[in-house]
Amino acid sequence: MSDTANAWGDFLTLEDDVKVLLIEDDAAAAEMYRLRLVADGYAVVVADDGEKGLAMAEAERPDFIYLDLRLPRIDGFEVLERLRADPETASIPVIILSNFGEPELRERGLKLGALEFLVKADTTPSRLSETVNRVTAPKALPSV
Amino acid sequence: MTSPAFDLPAASDGRDPFFDTAARIAAQIATPSGEAARRASYLRLDGDVLTAVAEYDETGAAFRGRYELPLFPNFERAVATAEIQVVDLSNLGNLTPVGAGVATRHQVRSCALVPVLSGERVVGVIAISARDDAGFSESEVQQLATLAQLVGLRVGHVASDRALREEAERSQGLERLKGEFLNIAAHELRSPLGIINGYVSMLLDGTLTGADQRTALERIAEKSDEMGRLITEMLETARMEALGLELTLAPTDLLDVLDAAIHTIEPLLGHHYSLATRGRRDPLPVMADRPRTQTMLLNLLDNAVKFSPGGGDVVVAWTRRAGVCHISVTDHGVGISREQQSMLFTRFGRLVTPETSHIRGTGLGLYIAREIARRHGGDITVRSEIGRGSTFTITMPLAPGALLAQTPEGVGTVTRSVARRT
Repeated sequence: MSDTANAWGDFLTLEDDVKVLLIEDDAAAAEMYRLRLVADGYAVVVADDGEKGLAMAEAERPDFIYLDLRLPRIDGFEVLERLRADPETASIPVIILSNFGEPELRERGLKLGALEFLVKADTTPSRLSETVNRVTAPKALPSV
Repeated sequence: MTSPAFDLPAASDGRDPFFDTAARIAAQIATPSGEAARRASYLRLDGDVLTAVAEYDETGAAFRGRYELPLFPNFERAVATAEIQVVDLSNLGNLTPVGAGVATRHQVRSCALVPVLSGERVVGVIAISARDDAGFSESEVQQLATLAQLVGLRVGHVASDRALREEAERSQGLERLKGEFLNIAAHELRSPLGIINGYVSMLLDGTLTGADQRTALERIAEKSDEMGRLITEMLETARMEALGLELTLAPTDLLDVLDAAIHTIEPLLGHHYSLATRGRRDPLPVMADRPRTQTMLLNLLDNAVKFSPGGGDVVVAWTRRAGVCHISVTDHGVGISREQQSMLFTRFGRLVTPETSHIRGTGLGLYIAREIARRHGGDITVRSEIGRGSTFTITMPLAPGALLAQTPEGVGTVTRSVARRT
């Protein structure tokens, strides 16, 4: 856990544009979130299934990942597990963005290391930008 | 009373052994001491027909018969009056020729017919036939009447048991459906709603300007249409499950319904689709529920478009063969593997593959379409190949007399190709 916190610290020292990876199979949703995040000054890349999401996390080194749960090929939980298992991607903050909000899913997601669990229906696009901003601002660094 | 050696075989063909036992007891009750054991049967009543479902005959003779009531006035009287009939068969002149034939063949001298009631209704008859001339005593008739009451209770019990079981199965089915609906509400309805809300929030807070506003409104319109369709399908399915699909049948020209369905879908086709029709412009007379058959055709057309995201030709063709009309809808879309074809028509059997996962839907469309076809005495089948496309074929029985008033319009093959604009 403290490793993760240190890694976040490293990443927070970067001054470049913050790059957000959206792993989202619903093209309409991805487009909408992308519009908002780009309008707020973030660089955005989109993967429309779990496999591509893992490949892009590796290749693009995003600063932040929004992860859908119901995905073709590899579901969100497995993506999260594999992100965490790979030292190259283990430290990237991941927030789950799902249509489902059941407590068991939330609990499982957080246990696997997601920073937060957002339900799409209750989450406006601007909330995505605010959340990226909050997590990447130094004062929001979780005290571990 | 004699005690015949009872070695009845156990009922092995799904029959209720209760009735075998009842027949054996009836024979026992009705056999006076000193006489050869009489034969007894239990006959179930269905409409005008009595069918022997159990019998006992010490000699092993069996005549699992069917008795059509008008041919056997004695049976008819027992059923109609619900009173025990004791019939002297020594004088065959009182019988119909058929009745006399049976009595002669089995050397029956007299018989007792004891109606079995479940509630107020006669549900069967216990029949005892005697080859002797001893007749039936008052006490035998009394005991047979009591036995008939027990059999009646059993019949009622079995019927209510079955009704309860069916009711339980039905409510389990509805319970499952409710769960599936909650699941759809959780995902399939929430995802378009989330997008509508998202775009609305961006329109309200001024994130979107110029052309983006227009795009946002188009997305909102698309997503609210999508939600409307999902809700309609859910309601249609719920109605079908709860009430059964009640059809209002009327003489209908299926070609006319097909034209209307095509007319509805055409404006929704993107510019990369073309729709062609192939078939003779003769009426396709069927007895059908017009709105339902239109739903059925629309669901197939809608699927053809939805599952060929790359566009291409959608071909609608129809023919008639041997009293059956065939309407096929062919697309050149993603196709369906053989394994997936089997689950295609099941409720919620939507196929999620890497190519189709972004296509939203309840998975109810084909299920509904096939239910409609089947309840019209038809069916829907599929032929498909991955990557090549699919052909869905509806078959419906023609009702040649249905449209006698109509005359064929044009005869000949018409091929129409229409390119659509968005």
